[in-house]
Amino acid sequence: MGFESLFEFFFKYKPFVFERGDFVFAATPASFAAAALLVAVAVPIVRQYRQVQGNSTPRHRLALMIVRAAVVALGCVVLLRPSLVVATAVPQQNFVGVLVDDSRSMQIADGGVTTRAEQVSNWLNPENAELIGQLEERFRLRLFSFSDVARRLDDAAELRFSGLRTDVAGALEAGRQELGGLPLSGLVLLSDGADNDSESLTETLNALRQADVPVFAVGVGEETFARDIEVSRVEAPRDVMQNAAVGADVVIRQRGFEGETVQLYVEDGGRIVSTMDVELPRSGDSTVVRARFVADEAGPRIVTFRIDVAEGEVVCQNNALETLVTVRDEQARILYFEGEPRHEVGFIRRALHDDRNIALATLVRSAPNKFQSLIVDPDERFGGEHELFGGFPKTREELYRYSAVVLGSVEADYFTRDQLQMIDDFVSQRGGGLLALGGRRSFAEGGYAGTPVAETLPVVLDPPAAEAWHSELQVAPTLFGRTHPVTQFGETSAASAERWETMPPLLAVNRVTRAKPGAAILLEGTSETLTDPQVMLAYQRYGAGKSIALTAADTWQWQMHYDMPLDDMTHENFWRQMLRWLVADVAGQVRAQLDRDRFAAGETVTVQVDVFDDTYLAVNDADVAATVAGPDGREEILDLAWTVDVDGRYEASFTAAAEGFYQVDVTAVGRDADLGSDVVTGQAAELTQEFFGAEMNRELLARVAEESGGRFYTAANVDELPGDITFTEGGTTVTEVLDLWDMPLFFFLFVGLVGSEWTVRKLRRLA
Amino acid sequence: MIGLGSRRTARRLVLVGITLALISAAAWAAPQRGWRGRGFSSNSGPTPDVDYENIGYDGRFTFARVKFSPTSWGGSRQHAWGLDLKWNHDYPRADRRLPEILGAVTGAEVQVAGSNIYGLDDPELFRFPWTYLCEVGFMQLSDSEAGNLRDYMLKGGFVVVDDFTGWHWFNFETEMAKVFPELRFIEINSTHPVFNAFFELDDLSFGSPYRAQGGGMPRYFGLFEDNDPTKRLMMIANYDNDIGEFWEFAGSQYILIDLENDAFKLGVNYVMYSMLR
Repeated sequence: MGFESLFEFFFKYKPFVFERGDFVFAATPASFAAAALLVAVAVPIVRQYRQVQGNSTPRHRLALMIVRAAVVALGCVVLLRPSLVVATAVPQQNFVGVLVDDSRSMQIADGGVTTRAEQVSNWLNPENAELIGQLEERFRLRLFSFSDVARRLDDAAELRFSGLRTDVAGALEAGRQELGGLPLSGLVLLSDGADNDSESLTETLNALRQADVPVFAVGVGEETFARDIEVSRVEAPRDVMQNAAVGADVVIRQRGFEGETVQLYVEDGGRIVSTMDVELPRSGDSTVVRARFVADEAGPRIVTFRIDVAEGEVVCQNNALETLVTVRDEQARILYFEGEPRHEVGFIRRALHDDRNIALATLVRSAPNKFQSLIVDPDERFGGEHELFGGFPKTREELYRYSAVVLGSVEADYFTRDQLQMIDDFVSQRGGGLLALGGRRSFAEGGYAGTPVAETLPVVLDPPAAEAWHSELQVAPTLFGRTHPVTQFGETSAASAERWETMPPLLAVNRVTRAKPGAAILLEGTSETLTDPQVMLAYQRYGAGKSIALTAADTWQWQMHYDMPLDDMTHENFWRQMLRWLVADVAGQVRAQLDRDRFAAGETVTVQVDVFDDTYLAVNDADVAATVAGPDGREEILDLAWTVDVDGRYEASFTAAAEGFYQVDVTAVGRDADLGSDVVTGQAAELTQEFFGAEMNRELLARVAEESGGRFYTAANVDELPGDITFTEGGTTVTEVLDLWDMPLFFFLFVGLVGSEWTVRKLRRLA
Repeated sequence: MIGLGSRRTARRLVLVGITLALISAAAWAAPQRGWRGRGFSSNSGPTPDVDYENIGYDGRFTFARVKFSPTSWGGSRQHAWGLDLKWNHDYPRADRRLPEILGAVTGAEVQVAGSNIYGLDDPELFRFPWTYLCEVGFMQLSDSEAGNLRDYMLKGGFVVVDDFTGWHWFNFETEMAKVFPELRFIEINSTHPVFNAFFELDDLSFGSPYRAQGGGMPRYFGLFEDNDPTKRLMMIANYDNDIGEFWEFAGSQYILIDLENDAFKLGVNYVMYSMLR
């Protein structure tokens, strides 16, 4: 027997009725007279206990007096006629909106036999006395289906249970508005609560409460699946450079497979590009694994993260999750400024020589006041063969053209204060990448402490030692570094760690032991003589960009060392991975994005573009246009308008008519010059998100019911709903007084009190 | 491609070789006089162990000299340890002078307190991507040494070959064929980046110690990755030249200052090329 049944047994009505009603004493003059008479008779009787002695002590007599007084008081309360005043709907004069979840998750058969859709259809059958039959007796019903949008239904047979999204808030809002002009007693919500599209539930609930529209939510399905594995979420970069190692955080949840090991497959267009073993966490918990793959084919790629369906799983569709990754075959131009000629320069340049996606423009101070620019792939936009002839850039316009800056062994004093600030702004405002290399003129040894660049760096610059320090250090990845795209050199974390053990030591000449809060350490260096490990590689997000500190001075040892096999590509891959990662999300002056990468055919998609000038200040008066090329080859031209809310932001929308890729080419023209262009891709496809997080969401449904003044039900007690919804303040109601004097609790109290008095009297021989 | 394989060059070298062979035979028969030879005796077989102290590696540029088993060796008052081991010509003064000049004229961090000597079978050599090799006319390479030298150069090492002339070439070419059977030496001129890596050397027609002995004008031959002269130069051979000699005797009365300068310019350029390209 549940709490509510027990409550109803003693108090005559369910707690819900007490919540809805006001407690009063509906006493008449006769009631007052009877109560007074009772008191008048009782007082002398009570006083009698003073006189009788028997086998009792004063304490016993006091107790008996209290008990008898309580009996009298109880009688008085009953005579004063305690009651509940509630508003009840007038039969057939009020409306009830029935909102039925019509999304695909309703196709799930939680118990393996009956689907949620079948259960709901059963409830909606007019002959079903459990729910709809009783409701129809008392109310005029309006039926709605909802998934991403809500719509009126004439008949439950119109339900298809094929919606691609669930928007509970939208459905409630639609129901409230649709029935707003009618006497509305409440809304009945039949759903699994697997909401994946609501944005403003709180606002909707406030509106419902203000309009006195309670929601009676019925949860469909199981709160926890017996056996299920779900690839819940994937955090992967939207844009990557071609041939970049891509790291994706994959969240996996399971029930019923605790401790088992499964294989996670990463597929690019159906081709397996990576596999890894995953040990499943405790039932109900999530685990995050870092999947790594190489994006070797350019263009928009559908990358699938999949785990094979295991026996007995309730939902099979949630074992694979797709994400759209745009692989860009573009060239990022990186400025490498080196303050001293050293072998590191040549080896880095050679490592990147065949990388068509990274163009390293190298400026070397080969002697005091003598510079060499070593330009690969001259680009007229950067000055062609004369690039960097003027030395390190002196203006923001000049510096901000690059995607990243590599600072070699060059002392801070070489730069003007404005140039140092410019480097800081390059990262924080322009969103560029900064890589600082170890060297005798780098970090604290280079006098950077207290400069703006020190703020940018992810490591703390402690004062340098009085005497020059250097040490050869064995480099090892941190736990985080084992699976980071920059430092993972193996298919698995363990393989990566093993690979690092065989790497030759590197020389460090800058003692760096602390990373800043918020920075991540990827590599550490140790030796027998060091007490604290050296931070060899760390990074942090800084403003709009990111910075990396590589404190080693001779990574070329990973190429040149005697123990390194001739065909080993670790050195090349390290540099390529690191620089690709550094520039991966460095955007240009025009940055386009869609409000979502994947959408269903027929949906409206918003193109959002941020526009900056060459110093990366937002531009509000640009002409921004987009060409949307659909899968059928047709093009649509969009004029984007400034949103006013955000400086430099422009928006326009288009409708994805058919399934397939939509490429959006955006161009922006300023008052004086072209500001640039960008390309963004989205895909219209059959979405499977309804099968993710598909367990019945009791929390959400109960919240909807509670905050709106309604009640939450499951299949076990849904038959109580028709009765409860009668007690409503919405619609056409009458006030009803419900007697409480005859509730069983009073009877049991009376019997208990009189019985205990009688027992005491018998024992103490007072009778 | 200009290579030693060309017919004209080969004919010239054969003549030069025969002439030098005769001269050498005469030289072995009687002690020579002059600035290069002051006391000489010839031996074959294992060379005596010699003591030297390497400065090691600390990240700065450090002169690294390659030693090898010469086809012959002898006693010599003018060379280190009183021995003419071939690979030790101009040691240690040349090995100190070049870093001193390099540190003075460039911004490179340079080790001037000492230098290193390594055999080709010594893993430590691989920590110094620039190395100096001389008197290769007498060089003998074991299979493992040849393999190591190949790895060293393919991984990114740069080798300066110096101090050889005439018929020395044949031995050098034979030994290098063990290292890179697929590569050929390609003659390079002043337009190659190695001659402009720091100093602009438009004219390479300066003298050499061999010139003073009747040798030809120095010529420069390179070994390139994939035999492609547009790719990385892995080895430069100063044929008919001995810039180590100029480094060694820099500042002395033996050497004209212009020749010293040119030799140092070449050396600095070689180092800068290996560092930056």
